[in-house]
Amino acid sequence: MAKKDTMKALINRDVSEETAALLLTRYNTLSAISAAGEAELVDLGLSEEEAASIIAKIGKRPASSSSKAKKAVEEVVIEPMEEVTEFYEFSEGELRLKRISEEVRTEKGLTVELPMKIIVDIAARIKNADFDDGICRQLIETAYRMYTAHLMDQNESAGVMAAHSIGEPGTQMNMRTFHYAGVANINVTQGLPRLIEIVDARRVPSTPSMDIPLTGIAAEDENVARHVASNIEMTSLLDIASIETDITNMRLIINPDVRKMESKGIRPDDIVERLNKVKAVRGMVEMVGFDIVVSSDEPSYKKLQVMYDAIKGAKIKGIDGITRAVLSKTEGSWKIVTEGSNLKEVLKVEGVDAENVMTNSILEVADVLGIEAARNSIIHEAMGTLGEAGLDVDIRHIMLVADLMTNDGYVKAIGRHGVSGKKSSVLARAAFEITAAHLLHAAMVGEVDHLEGVTENIIVGQPVTLGTGAVNLIYTPRKGDKE
Amino acid sequence: MTIRGITKRIGSIKFSCVSPEEIRKMSATKIITADTYDDEGYPIDMGLMDPHMGVIEPGLRCKTCGCKVDECPGHFGHIDLAMPVIHVGFIKDIKMLLESTCCQCGRLMLSEDQIQARRESMDKMEELGGGTIEVKNFSKETAKDASGKGICPYCGCEQIKIKLDKPTTFREVEDNHKLTPKEVRERLERIPDDDLVTLGIDPSTCRPEWMVLTALAVPPVTVRPSITLDSGDRSEDDLTHKLVDVLRINQRLRENRDAGAPQLIVEDLWELLQYHVTTYFDNQTSGIPPARHRSGRPLKTLTQRLKGKEGRFRSNLSGKRVNFSARTVISPDPLLSINEVGVPIFAARELTVPVHVNEHNIAKIREMVARGPAPPNDNPYLPGVNYVIRSDGRRIRVTERNCADVSEGIDIDYTVERQLVDGDVVLFNRQPSLHRMSMMAHRVRIMPGRTFRFNLCVCPPYNADFDGDEMNLHVLQSDEARAEARILMQVQENILSPRYGGPIIGAIHDHITGAYFLTHNNPRFDRFEAANVMFKLSDIEMPAPFIDEATGEPYWTGKQLFSTVLPADFRTTFKSNICQNCSVCRKEECEYDAYVKIRDGQLLCGTIDVKGIGNSKGKILDRIARDYGSDRAAQFINQVTRIALGALMNHGFSTGIGDEDIPAEAALQISNHSQECIDKVTDLVQSYQDGTLAQMPGRSLRETLEVEVMQVLGKARDEAGRIAGKHLGMTNPAVIMAKAGARGSMLNLSQMAGCVGQQAVRGERLSRGYWDRTLPHFEKGDLGAYARGFCSNSYKSGLSPTEFFFHAMGGREGLVDTAVRTSRSGYMQRRLVSALEDLKLTSDGTVRNTIGTVVQFRYGEDGVDPARTVRGKAIDLDDLFAEVLGDRADELLHIDTKDIGGDYGSLEKDEMEYIEEDESEDYDDLDMDYDGGGE
Repeated sequence: MAKKDTMKALINRDVSEETAALLLTRYNTLSAISAAGEAELVDLGLSEEEAASIIAKIGKRPASSSSKAKKAVEEVVIEPMEEVTEFYEFSEGELRLKRISEEVRTEKGLTVELPMKIIVDIAARIKNADFDDGICRQLIETAYRMYTAHLMDQNESAGVMAAHSIGEPGTQMNMRTFHYAGVANINVTQGLPRLIEIVDARRVPSTPSMDIPLTGIAAEDENVARHVASNIEMTSLLDIASIETDITNMRLIINPDVRKMESKGIRPDDIVERLNKVKAVRGMVEMVGFDIVVSSDEPSYKKLQVMYDAIKGAKIKGIDGITRAVLSKTEGSWKIVTEGSNLKEVLKVEGVDAENVMTNSILEVADVLGIEAARNSIIHEAMGTLGEAGLDVDIRHIMLVADLMTNDGYVKAIGRHGVSGKKSSVLARAAFEITAAHLLHAAMVGEVDHLEGVTENIIVGQPVTLGTGAVNLIYTPRKGDKE
Repeated sequence: MTIRGITKRIGSIKFSCVSPEEIRKMSATKIITADTYDDEGYPIDMGLMDPHMGVIEPGLRCKTCGCKVDECPGHFGHIDLAMPVIHVGFIKDIKMLLESTCCQCGRLMLSEDQIQARRESMDKMEELGGGTIEVKNFSKETAKDASGKGICPYCGCEQIKIKLDKPTTFREVEDNHKLTPKEVRERLERIPDDDLVTLGIDPSTCRPEWMVLTALAVPPVTVRPSITLDSGDRSEDDLTHKLVDVLRINQRLRENRDAGAPQLIVEDLWELLQYHVTTYFDNQTSGIPPARHRSGRPLKTLTQRLKGKEGRFRSNLSGKRVNFSARTVISPDPLLSINEVGVPIFAARELTVPVHVNEHNIAKIREMVARGPAPPNDNPYLPGVNYVIRSDGRRIRVTERNCADVSEGIDIDYTVERQLVDGDVVLFNRQPSLHRMSMMAHRVRIMPGRTFRFNLCVCPPYNADFDGDEMNLHVLQSDEARAEARILMQVQENILSPRYGGPIIGAIHDHITGAYFLTHNNPRFDRFEAANVMFKLSDIEMPAPFIDEATGEPYWTGKQLFSTVLPADFRTTFKSNICQNCSVCRKEECEYDAYVKIRDGQLLCGTIDVKGIGNSKGKILDRIARDYGSDRAAQFINQVTRIALGALMNHGFSTGIGDEDIPAEAALQISNHSQECIDKVTDLVQSYQDGTLAQMPGRSLRETLEVEVMQVLGKARDEAGRIAGKHLGMTNPAVIMAKAGARGSMLNLSQMAGCVGQQAVRGERLSRGYWDRTLPHFEKGDLGAYARGFCSNSYKSGLSPTEFFFHAMGGREGLVDTAVRTSRSGYMQRRLVSALEDLKLTSDGTVRNTIGTVVQFRYGEDGVDPARTVRGKAIDLDDLFAEVLGDRADELLHIDTKDIGGDYGSLEKDEMEYIEEDESEDYDDLDMDYDGGGE
């Protein structure tokens, strides 16, 4: 917060200008002042009463987010989450195979475990057959053999492989955005632009969209579903009414469109109630016949204009950010597809199947559901985009990218502001982008490049540290060995 | 030369600033005159070309080290600046330092406790392995907290706010007093070392006052060589030009200052000096005009030399030029093995492989050297030797004249550089190198001609065609490199793509048509024909023929001949590409012969097409590569393509414009149908204008109309294609190619024979051009089919002028799209690679980056290499059950084969392709044909 703003805020709180200026010589923000406490303020040359009143006026404020962010995090009391009770329960057959696989593993002294996924798959296949432990054991042993043969080699450059596998098909994708598959005709960015958007970790995607399945009767009954949709779609005043400016009487007259209101399930009373909460017109809205009249408390054109601007975009119903909500029916149940995204609010809406709501805004998922969810969201979105283009890319590559983007707790972009800009090597950063700045800064702080990565070693002309270059083995012939 | 096998490695590189003292100390000469050469053309002492700083002309000797060109690395000189100037690169850091420290006492304006706390946090960060970036951000925060204080907590001095006048001027806010670099330097000098550490600066490598320059290091002459033009004039390097400017102004400034010139003049000159030094470092500093060459071209100064694609880092340090490489046009040769490359004799004589001479090979090598560098007879090709390297490292060029003598002189421990021979391992590459299969190792085959040649199956990984493409070839120079290339990079090791775990190398185009003819409906071949099919397969014996009962003649069947190339115990089951996706699969009794069943290496039923042996889809190929190893897979590809081509040549195959002929009745049907659709569109437009069109929810009326029209016209094209397809039939070569998956699609065909369909730009009907209309041929506001880019003609029947124009519009969008896409996806890939390049799988199964941070605890959650997966699955369950339970697997499991099948996910895929075809407009397919010839 700039000092100017703080000054304003202090004066707003009836602190005299002099006192405010004095305070600002030491403190930048209101929170800093309140954090300082009375004693310190007295030190600054204020009387005790003054200090106390200032603190009282400012009130207890949470530390501002910019500089005191870390402190704030500590203060937040984490409410215990509802305990998750429903886990996937392994069936009898699956557990039996798991037991056998453990036996095989210990017997053969293998270090890798057979993934549960394989065991579950095998169990699903043999559930109709009545096999004794012998055959099961044979199956597991064979599966082990196949699995270990398919493992990736040590020191394999998994990263480069992933980058190639995602980047190469990029040249085959198209640039257009086309309509959402299915009935709902909502435009969603697809193809290469969308893929770029995902790896960029944009705060807001170019076409945010949500996929909201419904539960209960809402899923079955179209009218209920429509009602839920109207609760989600944001409706502003202008969507359902026209506004007239009555200059002679210095007031605004709102003519609600009855048909439109009905379709949205809004009553005129709701509008009045809503508008009365809008700051600029608080307490000045009332029903007059079928119209709603907003009368000005001071006869000025300026005020009238301010009022008009304040109410024309006022939200009457729905959720911020969601500009459209369209119903569509898939597999016998209704769902809502939206333009615009606001995960946090949508989850609260009644009739929404909260567990299955999807949004294509990855950062929003990270904010609301946490980093693991964001990781899954990246994988889901990237796989979806590539799949839509008919390109076959192994999920492991995308997992690696998603894991890299999320591995320190927040979503990092692939690029100079994210992963590449945070590399440990100066040379690698300089070779990527903004060369001069990185070199100069390195010189200033006396940075040391330990030449552990790929780019650095290429620059100095040494073998890279991946693949065959990762092995440092020098053959020393024994004495007596000739040729 | 280094000792063989042991090379020194650089452990680490430390960056630091150079102090003025150090600049002077390392300087070979002080530079005082702005002149470079005297009248005789010799460099002036203490000028910018002083020979103390190294030499660029052959024959001269460096005055510092006494070495000649190429031996002397060059030496720095220095310029003593009359007045200090600020280094632009550090301007932000200087500002940060000025703001966060006291203007009087130079202390960091935080209380002792705060400083202590900060230091502790920093130590902790270091302890926990925080990178430089974290420390940088933390010290930035420290500086921010310390700045903006009104009063210094140490000396109580009142602080005056400082603002930065871009690019290099500091002013005190209150009285707009300009802080001279001298004052800035004095302030920076006052900052104690301890406080610098708190701000993240290491005082031993960089004292802040060094950021205000008092001496300027002058790079060696070798860094900025002058070039002599044809006319004999010298043209100096941009850096030299800039240094001349600096020197001139420096000189004038010194004179004026010493002469006691008015303050104003001195200040002006000082500022000018600052400008020149600023542009010397970075000529693209915002806020000042770039220094220009006489011709008006901006000078390329230090920063410009380093940054960007053509800069030192990306162009010379990350990418290096190599010897022992060749580049020429490529052309196909179906008779080469997939891991061979045909190298022209011309190139082979230039490219060499070093061979160490020992007692076993000395005789052979002497013979080779005696042949000289260019043996006269190329048939048969015999390798010569271009260079001989003696044990002491001296190189001798072998010539026609001296080859006999040199041959005599060859001794043990010499190394000779012999020319390429058949079987040498080389790397072969085509740009853009988007994935690792863009660079593979091949075996050399020396051939006449002037082009590189390779097997057609290797086109997809390189994304090569033969419309003028060129490719590069690199000859490996060490045994280690050759071993690596042979084990990891050979073509057969790369048959399975790590992108999706399927084959990327496989039969293409004619191979598939050939295999289709060989196996579809199991044709019979008599002895002559069968020999024709098989004669290119030298290492395969003809199987025993069947005997025709009626005539008693021996005959072979296509499936039987095909089976000869399969491994003896091969088994698999899948559906071909020609499969019609009937609701009930009749399996072996399939009426289209689309159910492929192979047992014990015998093709029992089904047609082999793209799903069998094609690249990316080939199931047989997939399985052989996985289960029988890469060498067997390479052998299979070689053989199957040869037998397919044999079959195709025996059958004969061609396609032409006549193949798109459809009977008059079909043409009539098509034109009737499209007329119907056009009428329907007219009706829709009418109802839109009347306002009777039913609005779709969430759409405007206009959008509703567009959607409906697009639907109707889309159907028109599909229907035209269907009618045309019906009349073309499975005997039509174009249809065969499309259905077998060799080339082209039914969409292409229906556009050629039926109707081209709606043209689109940005996924909408054409609308731009004139006011309210696309072309003056139509009335304003016409929303009908023809007026908005519908082409009812086929390519065969010919487009009308308006249709042609619309088609060009759609086509142009496709071209623009391709151009934009390549650059955008290229940048995305560069970023991805830069972000992910350091990740590797460590021995404990985790994926880590260079500093050891775990990115994944288990690669891909199961540790499986995508190239070894079965289409993404860790193991193939069908294989597992087949192996353990044998043929009875399906019965034992009580599962209908339909549920599992060998046909993973093909239905979804097909559906998707259908949708894709439906959605994509014609130009998507067209641009494939346009991309050639543009090399």
